[in-house]
Amino acid sequence: MRSVRDAVRGTAAALSIAIAICTAAALRASAQRRAPRPVESELDIPPIPGDVARALTFGFRSLLADFTLLQAIQLLPVRHGDMAPEAAAPIDRRMFRLLDYSVEVDRKFGGAYRFAAAALPHETMDGKVFGVVNAMQILEKGVRERPDDWRMGFLLGFLQSYYLRDFPAAARNLALSAKQPGAPPFVGLLATRLAAQGGELQLATSLAEAMLAQANEESTRKEWQDRVDALHVERDLRAIEDAAQRYREVHGFPARSVQALVSAGFLPVFPREPHGGRYVLEGDGTARSTSTERLRAYGLTNQFEVH
Amino acid sequence: MTAFLAIAGNTVRELVRGKLLYNLLLFTALFVAGSLLVAQLTVGNWVRIILDMGLGAMEVAGALMAIVIGVGIVAGEIQRKTILPTLAKPLPRWTFCVGRYAGLVLLLAVNALAIVAVLRAVLWLAGYPLAITTAQAAALLCVEFALLAAVAVLFASFSTPILAGSYAFAVFFIGHLLPDLRAFADKAQSATARNLAKGFYLLLPDLELLNLKSHASNELAVAGSYVWSAAGYGIAYAAAVLALAVLVLSRRDLN
Repeated sequence: MRSVRDAVRGTAAALSIAIAICTAAALRASAQRRAPRPVESELDIPPIPGDVARALTFGFRSLLADFTLLQAIQLLPVRHGDMAPEAAAPIDRRMFRLLDYSVEVDRKFGGAYRFAAAALPHETMDGKVFGVVNAMQILEKGVRERPDDWRMGFLLGFLQSYYLRDFPAAARNLALSAKQPGAPPFVGLLATRLAAQGGELQLATSLAEAMLAQANEESTRKEWQDRVDALHVERDLRAIEDAAQRYREVHGFPARSVQALVSAGFLPVFPREPHGGRYVLEGDGTARSTSTERLRAYGLTNQFEVH
Repeated sequence: MTAFLAIAGNTVRELVRGKLLYNLLLFTALFVAGSLLVAQLTVGNWVRIILDMGLGAMEVAGALMAIVIGVGIVAGEIQRKTILPTLAKPLPRWTFCVGRYAGLVLLLAVNALAIVAVLRAVLWLAGYPLAITTAQAAALLCVEFALLAAVAVLFASFSTPILAGSYAFAVFFIGHLLPDLRAFADKAQSATARNLAKGFYLLLPDLELLNLKSHASNELAVAGSYVWSAAGYGIAYAAAVLALAVLVLSRRDLN
Protein backbone atom coordinates (compact mmCIF):
# COMPACT_ATOMS: atom_id res chain seq x y z
CA MET A 1 0.00 0.00 0.00
CA ARG A 2 2.86 2.33 0.94
CA SER A 3 4.68 1.57 -2.30
CA VAL A 4 1.59 2.52 -4.34
CA ARG A 5 1.31 5.78 -2.37
CA ASP A 6 4.99 6.52 -2.97
CA ALA A 7 4.60 5.81 -6.68
CA VAL A 8 1.60 8.18 -6.88
CA ARG A 9 3.54 10.86 -5.00
CA GLY A 10 6.56 10.44 -7.29
CA THR A 11 4.40 10.60 -10.43
CA ALA A 12 2.59 13.69 -9.10
CA ALA A 13 5.90 15.39 -8.34
CA ALA A 14 7.33 14.57 -11.78
CA LEU A 15 4.09 15.73 -13.43
CA SER A 16 4.15 18.99 -11.45
CA ILE A 17 7.75 19.65 -12.48
CA ALA A 18 6.94 18.91 -16.13
CA ILE A 19 3.88 21.20 -16.05
CA ALA A 20 5.92 23.97 -14.38
CA ILE A 21 8.68 23.67 -16.99
CA CYS A 22 6.18 23.71 -19.88
CA THR A 23 4.32 26.69 -18.39
CA ALA A 24 7.60 28.58 -17.87
CA ALA A 25 8.66 27.87 -21.47
CA ALA A 26 5.30 28.99 -22.85
CA LEU A 27 5.22 32.13 -20.71
CA ARG A 28 8.80 32.94 -21.63
CA ALA A 29 7.95 32.79 -25.34
CA SER A 30 4.86 34.89 -24.71
CA ALA A 31 6.83 37.46 -22.69
CA GLN A 32 9.48 37.64 -25.42
CA ARG A 33 6.77 38.37 -28.01
CA ARG A 34 5.26 41.11 -25.85
CA ALA A 35 8.61 42.59 -24.72
CA PRO A 36 8.90 46.38 -25.04
CA ARG A 37 11.50 47.89 -27.38
CA PRO A 38 15.06 47.60 -26.02
CA VAL A 39 15.96 50.46 -23.71
CA GLU A 40 18.98 51.35 -25.83
CA SER A 41 16.69 52.18 -28.78
CA GLU A 42 14.73 54.62 -26.62
CA LEU A 43 17.33 56.20 -24.33
CA ASP A 44 20.93 57.27 -24.39
CA ILE A 45 23.08 54.33 -23.32
CA PRO A 46 24.89 54.46 -20.96
CA PRO A 47 22.49 56.81 -19.15
CA ILE A 48 24.99 58.34 -16.69
CA PRO A 49 26.93 61.26 -18.23
CA GLY A 50 30.56 60.42 -18.92
CA ASP A 51 32.03 63.07 -16.63
CA VAL A 52 29.92 61.78 -13.72
CA ALA A 53 30.73 58.16 -14.53
CA ARG A 54 34.44 59.00 -14.63
CA ALA A 55 34.31 60.04 -10.98
CA LEU A 56 32.19 57.05 -9.99
CA THR A 57 34.63 54.53 -11.42
CA PHE A 58 36.88 55.06 -8.35
CA GLY A 59 40.06 54.88 -10.37
CA PHE A 60 38.87 52.20 -12.83
CA ARG A 61 37.93 54.62 -15.61
CA SER A 62 40.07 52.98 -18.28
CA LEU A 63 38.40 49.63 -17.58
CA LEU A 64 34.94 51.21 -18.04
CA ALA A 65 36.18 52.86 -21.25
CA ASP A 66 37.39 49.45 -22.49
CA PHE A 67 34.04 47.78 -21.96
CA THR A 68 32.19 50.67 -23.61
CA LEU A 69 34.49 50.37 -26.63
CA LEU A 70 33.92 46.59 -26.71
CA GLN A 71 30.16 47.23 -26.85
CA ALA A 72 30.69 49.62 -29.77
CA ILE A 73 32.84 47.03 -31.56
CA GLN A 74 30.08 44.43 -31.21
CA LEU A 75 27.72 46.79 -33.09
CA LEU A 76 29.90 46.90 -36.19
CA PRO A 77 28.86 43.49 -37.64
CA VAL A 78 25.19 44.35 -36.95
CA ARG A 79 25.39 47.21 -39.48
CA HIS A 80 25.40 45.58 -42.94
CA GLY A 81 26.71 47.29 -46.05
CA ASP A 82 23.36 46.93 -47.85
CA MET A 83 21.31 48.26 -44.92
CA ALA A 84 18.94 51.17 -45.61
CA PRO A 85 20.10 54.44 -43.98
CA GLU A 86 16.93 54.54 -41.86
CA ALA A 87 17.68 51.07 -40.49
CA ALA A 88 21.36 51.87 -39.88
CA ALA A 89 20.64 55.19 -38.15
CA PRO A 90 19.85 53.76 -34.66
CA ILE A 91 22.99 51.60 -34.82
CA ASP A 92 25.07 54.58 -35.91
CA ARG A 93 23.61 56.69 -33.12
CA ARG A 94 24.31 54.04 -30.48
CA MET A 95 27.83 53.44 -31.75
CA PHE A 96 28.59 57.16 -31.69
CA ARG A 97 27.13 57.46 -28.20
CA LEU A 98 29.23 54.55 -26.91
CA LEU A 99 32.45 55.80 -28.52
CA ASP A 100 31.88 59.34 -27.35
CA TYR A 101 31.23 57.97 -23.86
CA SER A 102 34.36 55.86 -24.00
CA VAL A 103 36.60 58.83 -24.80
CA GLU A 104 34.74 60.99 -22.29
CA VAL A 105 35.45 58.50 -19.51
CA ASP A 106 39.08 58.00 -20.58
CA ARG A 107 40.14 61.05 -22.57
CA LYS A 108 43.52 59.56 -23.47
CA PHE A 109 42.04 56.41 -25.07
CA GLY A 110 43.83 56.42 -28.44
CA GLY A 111 42.24 53.12 -29.57
CA ALA A 112 38.69 54.48 -29.19
CA TYR A 113 39.51 57.60 -31.23
CA ARG A 114 41.04 55.49 -34.00
CA PHE A 115 38.13 53.04 -33.99
CA ALA A 116 35.67 55.96 -34.27
CA ALA A 117 37.54 57.26 -37.35
CA ALA A 118 37.34 53.84 -39.00
CA ALA A 119 33.88 52.64 -37.94
CA LEU A 120 31.59 55.66 -37.84
CA PRO A 121 31.84 56.91 -41.46
CA HIS A 122 30.10 54.62 -43.96
CA GLU A 123 29.14 55.21 -47.57
CA THR A 124 26.13 54.11 -49.59
CA MET A 125 26.08 53.11 -53.25
CA ASP A 126 24.32 56.35 -54.25
CA GLY A 127 27.20 58.58 -53.09
CA LYS A 128 25.97 59.42 -49.59
CA VAL A 129 28.15 59.20 -46.52
CA PHE A 130 26.97 58.94 -42.92
CA GLY A 131 28.76 59.39 -39.61
CA VAL A 132 31.58 61.64 -40.85
CA VAL A 133 30.56 64.60 -38.72
CA ASN A 134 30.29 62.38 -35.62
CA ALA A 135 33.68 60.81 -36.31
CA MET A 136 35.23 64.27 -36.75
CA GLN A 137 33.65 65.46 -33.51
CA ILE A 138 35.34 62.57 -31.64
CA LEU A 139 38.64 63.03 -33.48
CA GLU A 140 38.73 66.74 -32.67
CA LYS A 141 38.73 65.70 -29.00
CA GLY A 142 41.48 63.20 -29.85
CA VAL A 143 43.65 65.92 -31.37
CA ARG A 144 43.16 68.01 -28.21
CA GLU A 145 43.68 65.19 -25.72
CA ARG A 146 46.39 63.18 -27.48
CA PRO A 147 48.57 65.78 -29.18
CA ASP A 148 51.46 63.29 -28.85
CA ASP A 149 49.75 60.78 -31.19
CA TRP A 150 50.29 61.71 -34.85
CA ARG A 151 47.46 59.42 -35.97
CA MET A 152 44.78 61.73 -34.48
CA GLY A 153 45.56 64.69 -36.76
CA PHE A 154 46.21 62.37 -39.68
CA LEU A 155 42.82 60.63 -39.40
CA LEU A 156 40.99 63.92 -38.92
CA GLY A 157 42.80 65.39 -41.93
CA PHE A 158 41.92 62.32 -43.99
CA LEU A 159 38.18 62.66 -43.20
CA GLN A 160 38.26 66.39 -43.94
CA SER A 161 39.98 65.94 -47.30
CA TYR A 162 38.35 62.71 -48.52
CA TYR A 163 34.74 63.30 -47.53
CA LEU A 164 34.41 67.06 -47.05
CA ARG A 165 37.08 68.25 -49.54
CA ASP A 166 38.07 70.83 -46.95
CA PHE A 167 41.71 70.88 -48.03
CA PRO A 168 42.94 73.87 -45.99
CA ALA A 169 41.61 72.35 -42.72
CA ALA A 170 42.93 68.91 -43.69
CA ALA A 171 46.33 70.38 -44.48
CA ARG A 172 46.47 72.15 -41.11
CA ASN A 173 45.70 68.92 -39.23
CA LEU A 174 48.15 66.88 -41.28
CA ALA A 175 50.79 69.56 -40.73
CA LEU A 176 50.25 69.28 -36.96
CA SER A 177 50.38 65.50 -37.23
CA ALA A 178 53.61 65.58 -39.27
CA LYS A 179 55.41 67.40 -36.44
CA GLN A 180 54.65 64.66 -33.89
CA PRO A 181 57.26 62.06 -33.02
CA GLY A 182 56.87 58.86 -35.01
CA ALA A 183 54.90 60.45 -37.86
CA PRO A 184 55.91 58.86 -41.19
CA PRO A 185 57.47 61.25 -43.74
CA PHE A 186 54.52 60.92 -46.15
CA VAL A 187 52.24 62.80 -43.70
CA GLY A 188 54.18 66.05 -44.08
CA LEU A 189 54.43 65.60 -47.85
CA LEU A 190 50.69 64.96 -48.06
CA ALA A 191 50.03 68.03 -45.90
CA THR A 192 51.97 70.26 -48.30
CA ARG A 193 50.19 68.72 -51.31
CA LEU A 194 46.75 69.32 -49.75
CA ALA A 195 47.72 72.82 -48.66
CA ALA A 196 48.83 73.64 -52.20
CA GLN A 197 45.55 72.28 -53.57
CA GLY A 198 43.55 74.19 -50.95
CA GLY A 199 45.33 77.47 -51.71
CA GLU A 200 47.27 77.54 -48.41
CA LEU A 201 50.66 78.00 -50.07
CA GLN A 202 52.16 79.90 -47.15
CA LEU A 203 51.26 77.07 -44.74
CA ALA A 204 52.65 74.46 -47.13
CA THR A 205 55.90 76.37 -47.66
CA SER A 206 56.40 77.00 -43.94
CA LEU A 207 55.87 73.31 -43.16
CA ALA A 208 58.18 72.13 -45.95
CA GLU A 209 60.93 74.57 -44.90
CA ALA A 210 60.58 73.51 -41.25
CA MET A 211 60.81 69.83 -42.22
CA LEU A 212 63.81 70.57 -44.43
CA ALA A 213 65.56 72.30 -41.52
CA GLN A 214 64.90 69.25 -39.26
CA ALA A 215 65.89 66.59 -41.81
CA ASN A 216 69.13 64.79 -40.94
CA GLU A 217 69.48 62.20 -43.67
CA GLU A 218 70.60 63.17 -47.16
CA SER A 219 67.67 61.38 -48.87
CA THR A 220 65.13 63.09 -46.58
CA ARG A 221 66.73 66.47 -47.15
CA LYS A 222 66.53 65.94 -50.91
CA GLU A 223 62.87 64.92 -50.65
CA TRP A 224 61.99 68.08 -48.71
CA GLN A 225 64.15 70.31 -50.93
CA ASP A 226 62.19 68.95 -53.94
CA ARG A 227 58.93 69.76 -52.15
CA VAL A 228 60.09 73.33 -51.34
CA ASP A 229 61.02 73.77 -55.03
CA ALA A 230 57.65 72.35 -56.13
CA LEU A 231 55.89 74.84 -53.87
CA HIS A 232 57.94 77.68 -55.36
CA VAL A 233 56.87 76.49 -58.82
CA GLU A 234 53.23 76.51 -57.66
CA ARG A 235 53.67 80.04 -56.27
CA ASP A 236 55.17 81.25 -59.56
CA LEU A 237 52.47 79.55 -61.65
CA ARG A 238 49.75 81.21 -59.59
CA ALA A 239 51.44 84.59 -59.97
CA ILE A 240 51.62 84.09 -63.75
CA GLU A 241 47.96 83.02 -63.96
CA ASP A 242 46.98 86.00 -61.83
CA ALA A 243 48.89 88.37 -64.10
CA ALA A 244 47.39 86.71 -67.21
CA GLN A 245 43.89 87.26 -65.82
CA ARG A 246 44.58 90.94 -65.17
CA TYR A 247 46.18 91.30 -68.63
CA ARG A 248 43.05 89.87 -70.26
CA GLU A 249 40.80 92.18 -68.22
CA VAL A 250 42.82 95.26 -69.23
CA HIS A 251 43.47 94.44 -72.89
CA GLY A 252 40.44 92.31 -73.71
CA PHE A 253 42.55 89.47 -75.18
CA PRO A 254 44.89 86.91 -73.61
CA ALA A 255 48.65 87.41 -73.28
CA ARG A 256 50.74 85.30 -75.66
CA SER A 257 53.58 84.46 -73.29
CA VAL A 258 55.05 85.02 -69.88
CA GLN A 259 57.49 87.47 -71.42
CA ALA A 260 54.51 89.52 -72.68
CA LEU A 261 53.25 89.76 -69.08
CA VAL A 262 56.67 90.99 -67.91
CA SER A 263 56.95 93.51 -70.75
CA ALA A 264 53.46 94.87 -70.00
CA GLY A 265 54.38 95.29 -66.31
CA PHE A 266 51.98 92.69 -64.99
CA LEU A 267 54.91 90.62 -63.65
CA PRO A 268 57.94 92.41 -62.07
CA VAL A 269 60.54 89.90 -63.41
CA PHE A 270 60.57 86.71 -65.43
CA PRO A 271 60.37 84.04 -62.70
CA ARG A 272 63.19 81.47 -62.58
CA GLU A 273 62.04 77.83 -62.65
CA PRO A 274 63.96 76.11 -59.80
CA HIS A 275 64.27 72.74 -61.59
CA GLY A 276 66.01 74.29 -64.59
CA GLY A 277 62.98 74.33 -66.90
CA ARG A 278 60.87 77.34 -67.90
CA TYR A 279 57.32 78.59 -67.46
CA VAL A 280 54.85 78.47 -70.33
CA LEU A 281 51.55 80.33 -70.57
CA GLU A 282 48.82 78.31 -72.33
CA GLY A 283 46.10 79.79 -74.52
CA ASP A 284 43.39 79.22 -71.89
CA GLY A 285 45.28 81.35 -69.34
CA THR A 286 46.75 78.49 -67.33
CA ALA A 287 50.49 78.27 -66.72
CA ARG A 288 52.75 75.23 -66.53
CA SER A 289 56.37 74.31 -66.01
CA THR A 290 58.29 72.42 -68.68
CA SER A 291 60.14 70.31 -66.11
CA THR A 292 57.60 69.29 -63.47
CA GLU A 293 53.88 68.70 -62.86
CA ARG A 294 51.81 70.94 -60.63
CA LEU A 295 51.44 69.93 -56.97
CA ARG A 296 48.03 68.30 -56.58
CA ALA A 297 46.49 65.61 -54.38
CA TYR A 298 45.22 62.75 -56.54
CA GLY A 299 42.35 60.37 -55.90
CA LEU A 300 40.19 63.03 -54.24
CA THR A 301 37.68 63.37 -57.05
CA ASN A 302 34.77 61.73 -55.17
CA GLN A 303 31.88 64.01 -54.28
CA PHE A 304 29.91 62.76 -51.30
CA GLU A 305 26.60 63.93 -49.95
CA VAL A 306 27.44 64.20 -46.26
CA HIS A 307 24.70 63.31 -43.76
CA MET B 1 63.78 44.78 17.64
CA THR B 2 63.66 41.01 18.20
CA ALA B 3 60.09 41.27 19.47
CA PHE B 4 59.12 43.39 16.48
CA LEU B 5 60.59 40.85 14.04
CA ALA B 6 58.96 37.98 15.92
CA ILE B 7 55.52 39.61 15.70
CA ALA B 8 55.98 40.47 12.00
CA GLY B 9 57.13 36.89 11.27
CA ASN B 10 54.24 35.44 13.26
CA THR B 11 51.78 37.63 11.34
CA VAL B 12 53.14 36.38 8.02
CA ARG B 13 52.97 32.73 9.19
CA GLU B 14 49.44 33.21 10.51
CA LEU B 15 48.22 34.86 7.30
CA VAL B 16 49.89 32.33 5.03
CA ARG B 17 47.85 29.62 6.79
CA GLY B 18 44.57 31.50 6.08
CA LYS B 19 42.28 30.63 3.16
CA LEU B 20 41.33 34.20 2.24
CA LEU B 21 44.76 34.97 0.79
CA TYR B 22 44.77 31.98 -1.55
CA ASN B 23 41.17 32.50 -2.63
CA LEU B 24 41.83 36.13 -3.55
CA LEU B 25 45.08 35.23 -5.27
CA LEU B 26 43.35 32.51 -7.30
CA PHE B 27 40.48 34.85 -8.23
CA THR B 28 42.95 37.50 -9.37
CA ALA B 29 45.09 35.07 -11.35
CA LEU B 30 41.99 33.73 -13.13
CA PHE B 31 40.77 37.26 -13.85
CA VAL B 32 44.14 38.28 -15.27
CA ALA B 33 44.32 35.12 -17.38
CA GLY B 34 40.72 35.71 -18.52
CA SER B 35 41.75 39.08 -19.93
CA LEU B 36 43.33 37.14 -22.82
CA LEU B 37 39.85 35.91 -23.82
CA VAL B 38 38.18 39.31 -23.40
CA ALA B 39 40.97 40.95 -25.40
CA GLN B 40 39.93 38.87 -28.42
CA LEU B 41 36.68 40.83 -28.59
CA THR B 42 38.52 44.05 -29.36
CA VAL B 43 40.13 45.19 -32.58
CA GLY B 44 43.86 45.81 -32.77
CA ASN B 45 45.46 46.54 -29.46
CA TRP B 46 45.01 43.68 -26.97
CA VAL B 47 47.52 45.05 -24.52
CA ARG B 48 45.17 47.72 -23.23
CA ILE B 49 42.45 45.22 -22.22
CA ILE B 50 45.03 42.91 -20.61
CA LEU B 51 46.61 45.76 -18.64
CA ASP B 52 43.30 47.30 -17.58
CA MET B 53 41.90 43.98 -16.37
CA GLY B 54 45.20 42.87 -14.86
CA LEU B 55 45.97 46.04 -12.95
CA GLY B 56 42.29 46.45 -12.02
CA ALA B 57 42.15 42.93 -10.55
CA MET B 58 45.42 43.57 -8.74
CA GLU B 59 44.01 46.72 -7.14
CA VAL B 60 40.71 45.09 -6.11
CA ALA B 61 42.42 42.03 -4.61
CA GLY B 62 45.14 44.09 -2.91
CA ALA B 63 42.69 46.61 -1.44
CA LEU B 64 40.42 43.81 -0.20
CA MET B 65 43.36 42.02 1.45
CA ALA B 66 44.78 45.21 2.96
CA ILE B 67 41.46 46.20 4.50
CA VAL B 68 39.97 42.82 5.51
CA ILE B 69 43.22 41.40 6.85
CA GLY B 70 44.37 44.76 8.26
CA VAL B 71 41.18 45.01 10.30
CA GLY B 72 41.37 41.35 11.34
CA ILE B 73 44.92 41.40 12.65
CA VAL B 74 44.13 44.14 15.17
CA ALA B 75 40.36 44.46 15.80
CA GLY B 76 39.84 40.69 15.48
CA GLU B 77 42.53 40.06 18.08
CA ILE B 78 41.01 42.64 20.41
CA GLN B 79 37.50 41.24 19.97
CA ARG B 80 38.64 37.64 20.57
CA LYS B 81 40.84 38.84 23.46
CA THR B 82 43.76 36.92 21.90
CA ILE B 83 45.77 40.16 22.08
CA LEU B 84 45.93 39.94 25.89
CA PRO B 85 48.43 37.02 26.22
CA THR B 86 50.74 38.80 23.76
CA LEU B 87 50.56 42.10 25.60
CA ALA B 88 51.01 40.34 28.95
CA LYS B 89 54.64 39.88 27.95
CA PRO B 90 57.05 42.82 28.40
CA LEU B 91 56.17 44.23 25.03
CA PRO B 92 55.23 47.82 24.19
CA ARG B 93 51.95 48.17 22.32
CA TRP B 94 53.59 50.01 19.45
CA THR B 95 55.72 46.93 18.79
CA PHE B 96 52.58 44.83 18.50
CA CYS B 97 50.85 47.34 16.22
CA VAL B 98 53.81 48.09 13.93
CA GLY B 99 54.92 44.43 13.87
CA ARG B 100 51.48 43.25 12.77
CA TYR B 101 51.39 46.01 10.14
CA ALA B 102 54.88 45.16 8.83
CA GLY B 103 53.94 41.48 8.47
CA LEU B 104 50.80 42.42 6.53
CA VAL B 105 52.66 44.83 4.22
CA LEU B 106 55.28 42.17 3.48
CA LEU B 107 52.55 39.73 2.54
CA LEU B 108 50.78 42.31 0.38
CA ALA B 109 54.04 43.02 -1.46
CA VAL B 110 54.65 39.32 -2.14
CA ASN B 111 51.07 38.96 -3.29
CA ALA B 112 51.43 41.95 -5.65
CA LEU B 113 54.64 40.46 -7.06
CA ALA B 114 52.83 37.17 -7.74
CA ILE B 115 50.04 38.99 -9.62
CA VAL B 116 52.59 41.00 -11.64
CA ALA B 117 54.28 37.69 -12.55
CA VAL B 118 50.94 36.32 -13.83
CA LEU B 119 50.31 39.57 -15.73
CA ARG B 120 53.80 39.36 -17.23
CA ALA B 121 53.10 35.78 -18.37
CA VAL B 122 49.77 36.78 -19.97
CA LEU B 123 51.44 39.72 -21.75
CA TRP B 124 54.19 37.40 -22.97
CA LEU B 125 51.60 34.94 -24.32
CA ALA B 126 49.92 37.79 -26.20
CA GLY B 127 53.29 38.97 -27.52
CA TYR B 128 53.69 42.20 -25.55
CA PRO B 129 56.50 43.31 -23.24
CA LEU B 130 55.97 44.63 -19.71
CA ALA B 131 56.34 48.39 -20.18
CA ILE B 132 58.06 50.62 -17.64
CA THR B 133 54.79 52.52 -16.97
CA THR B 134 53.12 49.22 -16.04
CA ALA B 135 55.88 48.49 -13.54
CA GLN B 136 55.52 52.03 -12.15
CA ALA B 137 51.72 51.56 -11.87
CA ALA B 138 52.21 48.24 -10.02
CA ALA B 139 54.75 49.84 -7.66
CA LEU B 140 52.35 52.67 -6.79
CA LEU B 141 49.55 50.13 -6.25
CA CYS B 142 51.78 48.49 -3.61
CA VAL B 143 52.11 51.89 -1.90
CA GLU B 144 48.31 52.23 -2.03
CA PHE B 145 47.93 48.81 -0.35
CA ALA B 146 50.37 49.85 2.39
CA LEU B 147 48.40 53.06 2.93
CA LEU B 148 45.06 51.23 3.06
CA ALA B 149 46.50 48.67 5.49
CA ALA B 150 47.58 51.54 7.78
CA VAL B 151 44.10 53.08 7.54
CA ALA B 152 42.53 49.68 8.36
CA VAL B 153 44.84 49.27 11.38
CA LEU B 154 43.93 52.78 12.58
CA PHE B 155 40.18 52.13 12.44
CA ALA B 156 40.69 48.66 13.95
CA SER B 157 42.51 50.20 16.89
CA PHE B 158 39.34 51.86 18.24
CA SER B 159 36.39 50.15 16.55
CA THR B 160 34.73 46.80 15.89
CA PRO B 161 35.88 44.76 12.86
CA ILE B 162 32.72 45.45 10.79
CA LEU B 163 32.76 49.19 11.44
CA ALA B 164 36.52 49.44 10.94
CA GLY B 165 36.21 47.60 7.60
CA SER B 166 33.37 49.89 6.51
CA TYR B 167 35.34 53.02 7.41
CA ALA B 168 38.43 51.76 5.59
CA PHE B 169 36.42 50.96 2.42
CA ALA B 170 34.88 54.44 2.62
CA VAL B 171 38.39 55.91 2.70
CA PHE B 172 39.29 53.80 -0.36
CA PHE B 173 36.31 55.10 -2.35
CA ILE B 174 36.62 58.69 -1.16
CA GLY B 175 40.37 58.62 -1.79
CA HIS B 176 39.68 57.97 -5.47
CA LEU B 177 37.14 60.81 -5.60
CA LEU B 178 39.47 63.43 -4.12
CA PRO B 179 40.52 65.06 -7.43
CA ASP B 180 36.83 65.86 -7.97
CA LEU B 181 36.66 67.29 -4.46
CA ARG B 182 39.64 69.50 -5.29
CA ALA B 183 37.94 70.59 -8.53
CA PHE B 184 34.82 71.38 -6.50
CA ALA B 185 36.93 73.41 -4.05
CA ASP B 186 38.37 75.40 -6.94
CA LYS B 187 34.95 76.14 -8.41
CA ALA B 188 32.82 76.61 -5.25
CA GLN B 189 31.26 80.06 -4.90
CA SER B 190 30.87 79.95 -1.13
CA ALA B 191 34.06 80.52 0.89
CA THR B 192 32.88 78.08 3.60
CA ALA B 193 32.27 75.30 1.08
CA ARG B 194 35.62 76.04 -0.55
CA ASN B 195 37.54 75.92 2.73
CA LEU B 196 35.67 72.82 3.90
CA ALA B 197 36.39 71.00 0.65
CA LYS B 198 40.06 72.04 0.77
CA GLY B 199 40.29 70.88 4.39
CA PHE B 200 38.87 67.45 3.55
CA TYR B 201 41.15 67.25 0.53
CA LEU B 202 44.24 67.84 2.66
CA LEU B 203 43.07 65.49 5.43
CA LEU B 204 42.12 62.47 3.31
CA PRO B 205 44.57 60.38 1.26
CA ASP B 206 44.54 61.27 -2.45
CA LEU B 207 44.65 57.75 -3.87
CA GLU B 208 44.41 59.05 -7.44
CA LEU B 209 48.01 60.26 -7.04
CA LEU B 210 48.91 56.59 -6.75
CA ASN B 211 46.79 55.54 -9.73
CA LEU B 212 48.80 55.12 -12.94
CA LYS B 213 46.61 52.36 -14.40
CA SER B 214 45.24 54.57 -17.18
CA HIS B 215 48.71 55.82 -18.05
CA ALA B 216 49.93 52.24 -18.31
CA SER B 217 47.08 51.12 -20.54
CA ASN B 218 47.31 54.24 -22.73
CA GLU B 219 51.08 53.69 -23.04
CA LEU B 220 51.80 57.20 -21.73
CA ALA B 221 55.22 57.78 -20.23
CA VAL B 222 55.38 59.00 -16.62
CA ALA B 223 58.39 60.86 -15.19
CA GLY B 224 60.37 58.87 -12.62
CA SER B 225 60.41 61.92 -10.36
CA TYR B 226 56.60 61.82 -10.19
CA VAL B 227 56.62 58.14 -9.18
CA TRP B 228 59.15 58.83 -6.42
CA SER B 229 57.27 61.83 -5.05
CA ALA B 230 53.88 60.04 -5.20
CA ALA B 231 55.36 56.97 -3.50
CA GLY B 232 56.97 59.22 -0.89
CA TYR B 233 53.62 60.91 -0.26
CA GLY B 234 51.87 57.54 0.16
CA ILE B 235 54.51 56.15 2.50
CA ALA B 236 54.61 59.32 4.61
CA TYR B 237 50.80 59.34 4.86
CA ALA B 238 50.79 55.65 5.85
CA ALA B 239 53.46 56.35 8.51
CA ALA B 240 51.39 59.20 9.96
CA VAL B 241 48.24 57.05 10.06
CA LEU B 242 50.16 54.17 11.65
CA ALA B 243 51.60 56.51 14.28
CA LEU B 244 48.06 57.65 15.07
CA ALA B 245 46.94 54.00 15.31
CA VAL B 246 49.80 53.30 17.78
CA LEU B 247 48.77 56.33 19.85
CA VAL B 248 45.12 55.25 19.97
CA LEU B 249 45.94 51.62 20.76
CA SER B 250 48.42 52.51 23.49
CA ARG B 251 45.72 54.58 25.30
CA ARG B 252 42.92 52.09 24.82
CA ASP B 253 41.64 49.99 27.71
CA LEU B 254 41.58 46.47 26.29
CA ASN B 255 39.86 44.75 29.20
